[in-house]
Amino acid sequence: MRFAPSSGLTATLLRKFTLRHWQAAPGQSAVLVVILALGIAVFFAIRLANRAALGSFQNFTDLITQESDWVIRAPAGLLPASLLTELRGRLNPQPVGIIPVLETTGARPQTDPDEAIGSRESFQLLGVDLIGIQNLAARIVQERSWFGQASSSASVAGSSERFWQIFRNPRAVFISAALAARDKLRLGDPFTLVVNENIATLEVAGIIPAKRDGPQAPATLLVMDLPAVQSLSGNRNFLSRIEFIVEQGPDAKTRRAKLKERLESWSQERWLVSSPTDRRESAATMTRAFRVNLTILSLIALLVGLYLIFQALDGAVVRRREEIGILRSLGVEEYYIRRAWLLEAALLGLVGGGLGALLGWAGAQFSVRLVGRTVNALYYSTHLQYAQLDLEELSAALLLAVATSLLAGWIPARAAARTPPAQILVRHALAAPGLQFWRKEWLGAIIALAGFALVLLPPLRFAGGVRFPLAGYLAGLCWILGAGVLSSGVLRTLARLARPLGRWLIPAKIAAGHLVQPSGRHRLAVAGLVCAIAMTAGMTILVASFDTTMRGWIEGTFQADLYISSSGAQSASTENRISPETWKSMVTHRAVAEVNAVQTCDVQLSEGQTTLSGVELEVMHRRTRLPWIQPPLSNDVFAFERNAGLALVSESFSERFRLRRGDPVTVPTPKGKRKLIIAGVFSDYGNERGSILVERRHFAAWFQHEQLSGLMVFVRDGFSIETLRGEWLARHPGLRIFSNAHLRSEILRIFRQTFAITYALEVIGVLVAMIGLGLTLVSVLLERRGELTTLRALGLSRGEIAQATACEGLALAFVGVAVGTVVSLALGWMLIYVINKQTFGWTLGFDVPWLQIAGLALLVISIGTGVAYGVGRWGADLPADQEE
Amino acid sequence: MRPNRILRLWVLTLWKGAAKMRALIPTSAVFSLLWSLAAAEIQPPRKTRDGFAVPQPGHRFEFPTDHGSHPDFKIEWWYVTGHLFGEQGRRFGFQATFFRRSGPLPTNGTMVTARSELFGNEELHLAHMALLDVPGERFIQEERLNRQGWDAESSTNTLAVRNGNWSLSVGTHANGPFSLQGSIRSAAAFSLEMTPVKPLVVFGEKGVSRKGASPTASSYYLTFPRLEVAGVVTLEGRNQVVHGQAWMDHEISSNQLDEDQAGWDWAGLQLKDGREIMAYRIRKKDGSRDPFSQLAWVDANGAVTNFNSGHFTWTTVQTWKSPITGGIYPVRIQLTTTDPISGQPAIFILEPLVFQQELGGVLSGISYWEGACRVRNEKSEDVGSAYLELTGYAGSLTERFQ
Repeated sequence: MRFAPSSGLTATLLRKFTLRHWQAAPGQSAVLVVILALGIAVFFAIRLANRAALGSFQNFTDLITQESDWVIRAPAGLLPASLLTELRGRLNPQPVGIIPVLETTGARPQTDPDEAIGSRESFQLLGVDLIGIQNLAARIVQERSWFGQASSSASVAGSSERFWQIFRNPRAVFISAALAARDKLRLGDPFTLVVNENIATLEVAGIIPAKRDGPQAPATLLVMDLPAVQSLSGNRNFLSRIEFIVEQGPDAKTRRAKLKERLESWSQERWLVSSPTDRRESAATMTRAFRVNLTILSLIALLVGLYLIFQALDGAVVRRREEIGILRSLGVEEYYIRRAWLLEAALLGLVGGGLGALLGWAGAQFSVRLVGRTVNALYYSTHLQYAQLDLEELSAALLLAVATSLLAGWIPARAAARTPPAQILVRHALAAPGLQFWRKEWLGAIIALAGFALVLLPPLRFAGGVRFPLAGYLAGLCWILGAGVLSSGVLRTLARLARPLGRWLIPAKIAAGHLVQPSGRHRLAVAGLVCAIAMTAGMTILVASFDTTMRGWIEGTFQADLYISSSGAQSASTENRISPETWKSMVTHRAVAEVNAVQTCDVQLSEGQTTLSGVELEVMHRRTRLPWIQPPLSNDVFAFERNAGLALVSESFSERFRLRRGDPVTVPTPKGKRKLIIAGVFSDYGNERGSILVERRHFAAWFQHEQLSGLMVFVRDGFSIETLRGEWLARHPGLRIFSNAHLRSEILRIFRQTFAITYALEVIGVLVAMIGLGLTLVSVLLERRGELTTLRALGLSRGEIAQATACEGLALAFVGVAVGTVVSLALGWMLIYVINKQTFGWTLGFDVPWLQIAGLALLVISIGTGVAYGVGRWGADLPADQEE
Repeated sequence: MRPNRILRLWVLTLWKGAAKMRALIPTSAVFSLLWSLAAAEIQPPRKTRDGFAVPQPGHRFEFPTDHGSHPDFKIEWWYVTGHLFGEQGRRFGFQATFFRRSGPLPTNGTMVTARSELFGNEELHLAHMALLDVPGERFIQEERLNRQGWDAESSTNTLAVRNGNWSLSVGTHANGPFSLQGSIRSAAAFSLEMTPVKPLVVFGEKGVSRKGASPTASSYYLTFPRLEVAGVVTLEGRNQVVHGQAWMDHEISSNQLDEDQAGWDWAGLQLKDGREIMAYRIRKKDGSRDPFSQLAWVDANGAVTNFNSGHFTWTTVQTWKSPITGGIYPVRIQLTTTDPISGQPAIFILEPLVFQQELGGVLSGISYWEGACRVRNEKSEDVGSAYLELTGYAGSLTERFQ
């Protein structure tokens, strides 16, 4: 007899064969869905948060005009505004829109001098020519005009008193509709903002007109007339960038290309010509390593889940093999059976994926802030509040869910399809072929060894000095997989060693009896645990090592008594500075012993962007203990008379640009390119883009200004630091003045905060592994329900049966934890010396937080045993003939 | 002495009331002048209420300085319209207008503004450019607004006005040739050299063109009524060598319209006989014509004969409704005046070459019709070309010019 191939058969199989089992054991089905959902949720949440972080980097001018075709910037510092006239002359008579922009940052004034860094809302202040941009804005439909918001008569530039009042008001600020709604701001309301060291009271002149049906301005965007921002930021004759928009119409593409040629031939190497896409890509590149690392971390739970789903589906094959046999003997072909299994897996994937996406979207709202904080601290200013649902990411998550369950279901499906009808009669037939893999312990050893070979490979290198340690990650995967397979051997050995205990303890004897020849399910449960523990403990080692190293670095580097910066500085990309008048008046205070004044500027090297800082090298050398990777060979670099052509670079810089002590580095400055010789390489954990240190007085000469990004003050003995701080805070309310202790604790706090998300990911990973352990035992007991009946008949109480299961759980958890911990040491080592070094260029000391790992082990073992005991009590009551 | 100089002296003498010359003046011109004298009897104040300069009778113009910008006046514009002929006689009309408008003058107690040379906030510069492709019936126009500074400026020393990549300038000679450069979006561009074929005309009495009853409603109105044009027009990426004739106005004022005025219609006719007519009628809000409306003949030598409101008629022959603004424009008109040479009535009908010649946009908030026209006489003979300007039909203008 042979069933005609029809979709009806598959549907019948699904209904009668698959769904019936699911309905019979709704709890287990639910747990399986939850495991998958958790894995997907974490992945989805992180992807959405990453996307939001990337999306938050934008060219704000796009919001009010249209996307520009080209942008020019200075390779270091700002552009002189006088270029505009030169440019217009050069580009005439071409119809090209030229948009000058000056962008800076500002923050709400501080209310607590001991505040946390980044606790105040900071704003991106965009200065554009409010008249000029209307020529471009006129081509897109906007929901409102710039000047027509107070009354209808002011809608046209120049037509009313009100227009001129707003236009000429150097404090007129346009805010986003979001900010107006949130802070209940209305036209004419004051708006206080710290820019540089000044507290400016601006006046709300209107809402930023956005494109109709286009993206709205974020709450943190402020727009002012360009000369007003020039005056407010102290950059009277400068611009951040000049954007160019080619007229639409015929040959726009050719004209666009020609414009680039003209701009490039005009600017030579003085200015950088790029497109907004280049900028976005560079932002994407800048944070790529961080985002990829997070995504990989987010896959821990899914990886653990993969073990569990595989094992659950495989268990189902075993339990349903009698039915499969009947179906096969009825003539249902292998193909249909396999299809029914794969459909079941896919269905599980869809349901789990859907639930996961829902959970993930909720989780993204939480994780987006954590991701945002890190991006803010390390890369660029962003204020992420929520992550938008993204269809592309949703599809990816669902696809991943289905792919995961199909991958997990593939081997069980094949096993099911190939089950010979004769097996109906054989109760303890061979395990499914898929599980054979977990029995080949020699294969585990080979995989683990392959990991050691992979770890020696260099990272992949991308543009801008970005590296990705693919081989490192693969090595980690090999170790986890290999150790997972090898852990069965440990389990067996443990069972053998525990056997003598059985003389006194019946439950232990029963458990050992099972584990001497561990089933595929046991092996998978241990492997899953090994995976979860190894990754979690590995991350704990990395974080602890980082923490210890950071503390040492802070201890050695942060020696000054007071740290002063603009109170507007709230993120890594702040433009806020202290004016020379202010800081020079401070350094002459009689309580000041000496200072280290710091000037910084982003510079574009040919390989990528980095930070150039001017510091008092001699003071730094004398007052701090810089941890050297390659110390200077002489003291020339610290002597002003001899250090004009010398620089110190951070380790991240050295790794990123592959430059060592003695190598030359060419740095652009407004006074032309400077060739510097690297005199030494020091450890720095401040940023991963790397930094170059030069003597501040040379920096000031090259950049023709003395605006400081920070001032470190060493107070004379006998003077009170707090009194001086109080005095300065009262005199300069726009400055932020931190004491040494406060700054140190802030740096540690920010650093720990960047790891907050990893803790959340680890917890979920362990949680999944624990659920998995319970599920394994449920499945094992279901398979052994005949044996359970026998045990009860032999007089074992329910408690004793539960104890036997608890012993089994204890053994599984113990082996999982033990092997996992060993692997975690290897993973920790690799994360520190390979992945971290290759990605961020940071050398850390290896520090194992034994106490934390022991705590984790204890927790996992006790939960594992507890769960096993509970499952045992439940299993003891199972009737011999009950289905799943 | 060249005849045109004699005529100008003649007019000037009349202004001064030199009775001995009166016999030489055509009757209609006498009325006109008498009326003008009556109006001019009131010496205008030197400043408007908001502190801007008021055109003063007898002002001595100096060139090229007076071709340049006058920042002490509130409003100023340089206006070029013309008719061009390209390959195979392809006909074009063009218009280029550069407006300058001062903001309120600072008074005591004015807040400190963020002054900047590159980003000024004392003046705004508005500009319009249009090209009419007659056979293609295409009218291409663009509006532009900038603050004075790096991307818009008007020299106070000579004619050199610029707004983005649009410019109008004069070379070393005060009276031309003039150079006009511009592009209209990416659709068209022109580069024209314009050489006056007649001397500069200063319209109005004693150099002041009155626009309303208010003593400040007046302008200095300087015109080159006929310029030979040669240059290149680029349309859809293709260059064409063109030649033709243009009309160039420069008007300087601090108060262009009175409060009861709704708008004006203006026409500049270039007749084939070598004469030109400039006419404007100012419309009051009640629908009537303001008595300060004017018509002036410029003879072949550049001498001007003025006719006041009572001595010419301006009749609507046909209207056209703009599909964009909904404004209804009297685009075909009939002008009836007296030929100062023959003393006979003269009738001119202005026919638009294309109806859609409406300009303006959201930046200025001003929409108006400025179109190339053919001029016919009462026998329907083609006697010349004209540009016709119709304002105040799509919203009130008074507010804009107050």
